[in-house]
Amino acid sequence: MSDAGPDAGGTPSVVSRLIAPFVDRSVAERLVISVAAILLSIAVGFVIVLISGRIAQCSTAAWTMPLTGIGFCYDPIQVYVVLFNGAFGNPIAVGEPGLFNPNWTPFNLSLGLTLSETTLLIFTGLSVAVAFRAGLFNIGTQGQLVVGALATALTVIAAAPLLPEGPVGGAVLIVLGTAAGAVGGGFWGAIPGALKAYADANEVITTIMLNFVAANVAYVLVLEVFRAEGSSVVATQYVPEYAQFLPWFFPQSADFAVVALLVGIAFIGALYYLIEHTSFGYDVRTSGVQAAAAEYGGVNAKLTTVRAMTLSGALGGIGGSVWVLMSEGRWMASIPSLGFDGITVSILAGNNPIGVLPAAFLFGILKGGALEIGFRTDVPTELVGVLRGLIILFVAMPEFFRMIGKYAGIGAGGPGGGVRTDPDETDGAVGTDGGEADA
Amino acid sequence: MRNPIADLSIPILDDLIESDYTRSLVVGVVVVFGLLGIVGAAFPDSVAGDLAGIAFSTSTATSTARLAAPIVLAGLGGIFAEKSGVINIGLEGLLIISAFVSIYAASVVGIGNSVLGIPALAVAFLAGIAASTALSAVFAVVCIEFKADQIIAGLAVWLIALGLAPFLSRVLFGGVNTPNLGASVGWRYFAALVVIATLGSWWLLNRTTFGKHLRASGENPKALDTVGVSVSRVRYAGVLLSGVLSGVGGSALALSIGQFVGSGETMVQGKGFIAIVAYLFGNYNPLGTLGAGVLFAGLDATQIRLQQLGYAIPDTLVQTIPYVVVIVVLTLVGRTQIPEAAGEHYETEE
Repeated sequence: MSDAGPDAGGTPSVVSRLIAPFVDRSVAERLVISVAAILLSIAVGFVIVLISGRIAQCSTAAWTMPLTGIGFCYDPIQVYVVLFNGAFGNPIAVGEPGLFNPNWTPFNLSLGLTLSETTLLIFTGLSVAVAFRAGLFNIGTQGQLVVGALATALTVIAAAPLLPEGPVGGAVLIVLGTAAGAVGGGFWGAIPGALKAYADANEVITTIMLNFVAANVAYVLVLEVFRAEGSSVVATQYVPEYAQFLPWFFPQSADFAVVALLVGIAFIGALYYLIEHTSFGYDVRTSGVQAAAAEYGGVNAKLTTVRAMTLSGALGGIGGSVWVLMSEGRWMASIPSLGFDGITVSILAGNNPIGVLPAAFLFGILKGGALEIGFRTDVPTELVGVLRGLIILFVAMPEFFRMIGKYAGIGAGGPGGGVRTDPDETDGAVGTDGGEADA
Repeated sequence: MRNPIADLSIPILDDLIESDYTRSLVVGVVVVFGLLGIVGAAFPDSVAGDLAGIAFSTSTATSTARLAAPIVLAGLGGIFAEKSGVINIGLEGLLIISAFVSIYAASVVGIGNSVLGIPALAVAFLAGIAASTALSAVFAVVCIEFKADQIIAGLAVWLIALGLAPFLSRVLFGGVNTPNLGASVGWRYFAALVVIATLGSWWLLNRTTFGKHLRASGENPKALDTVGVSVSRVRYAGVLLSGVLSGVGGSALALSIGQFVGSGETMVQGKGFIAIVAYLFGNYNPLGTLGAGVLFAGLDATQIRLQQLGYAIPDTLVQTIPYVVVIVVLTLVGRTQIPEAAGEHYETEE
């Protein structure tokens, strides 16, 4: 852990001084905390790799600690180089005379995989962020994604024979399928919203339960009714090729479409506008910060709860649509945990729609890089899962970084990192938004 | 909405159990089992007959005990944490880490060997408990010392364990699933463990000064602080107890089959979340948690037996029943009595 100290202690001050003049203080502080959390996770991950490299069995040491001569089975520096370099398709030639790899193009398979994951995480991250801002902890994005994905697949498969083949029919099918996904996910999100608003049922519990229900019911539906003939796995038939997002520049096997990423970025902009500059957004934010006050100020809190959860579910459902139309081409039972990862993305983003983009990209990198770690090193790829958990743990404890900030002598009154904000600011990512509230 | 059974008046039961909620649950369960028994006895060849046969058979009882142990134990742990004011949503992670570490310890010692006269399985149990308690200590420090959001920190605990256990399994055993050690602990031990833990928890919560402090720490920390008891220390105790109990549950889960399975959601498969549901369902009462845990495990065991008898009900659909039941009950009963100050950080007043 000794090498974690300087990293975490030194970074906030430098970074915060750089960015503080440009952004609102509370946003700046959150940004610093997120960056510090990532660096600290990397440092802790470094130690974990070292320790596990000491207890693992191997014939030759992959790395020897300088000065001590102690050998380790895993090389912790190489792991991170492979992770971050590999996620971009190895633009940097390690150990070669020229620093850059001359054969590298941006349109490679690894970067495609990274961006594919990024695109999917944008939607699930936004889904969680919207609910968070309304003070609702939507753990159910996974279930909403499952339902939305199934709605998309079934709608497109059912509508395909009615429309002409080709680009026009394909575009119509994609729009139709995405709308179906939004409706399906929105419906699944509206249930816990309504239960919360009108029956006072805790949404954390109901959404967790609905995740299991969605996964199980969708599985049985496909198994018994919609299963493709002759399929060895539980899956629907494929949607027509022309109704899928086309990969354009990237290799087919990357399952990535630039247009889907652009749609995701457009959603980020739209959602930012919706939350910050519309009356609905005002309702959402005020209910999130102080539900009783919002009610007193004329906000219909119950209706806002249902609406926010429906919107959140719809975004998760669209994430499911993109997963079907871009990644898999069909609904299948082994759905990746994109909805759960959306929680981590949203938390890292401070529940800010704009922040979802870099946060989704980071987790996209971790996903793309994990594959490379599997190819190129002996270190188990599950390391990336540990890093993900550590990042969330550290992001959850801003007070820790404030203490370090104070200890490192940045002190009160300094920009960003060391600023002691209102105590309310500390007690939760759910809807704390001191700096941005409408005056 | 109001639940219809709450208005029923039953002479002796009304005096024994004060809360409407608990009484409705008890009446509901007794009625369902009673009807099943009667219909099953009347028509032994029907579906109900088979169901009754399953519900009252020994093999279902033993597998229920097996399946219920991790749920009930983690649920009891969750009560202690939440009663003290710290919502521990990371029970799942505690179960995962203790399941893995107990198997690792057993494999290091070797089944049949012993350390300092302690047999391998007992060492495994202790190691699992230690691992879970250590992770819960991290969670406690993060929540109490660094004022982290409890839900997010709890999720982090789950995610860390979900990554770390398969990671270590790959490092130490070369695969996400450990080899089967070929030893398993009998169900009687689990049943005994669960009953002792439940009664002990009930006693600790309701009959001791510590229990009083624990409840005060969750309901009104300021009052506790005023009388000179450290809220932080009580909360640490609550969270660490959740670690100890989850450790027993996770070790029991893994040692019941002698293997750790780390693929997908790992062998814990959401039992930690079901545990949360179990104690909410039991309204923070250890006895209620035991009832809820046994009910969920019993449903699962019944479904497994139904499959074996050749009923073509998709098993996933039967597994969905507990989740739906929970949603329905939460909707009808509304809010469970969550401690007033749970989820909030308490700042000691100087």
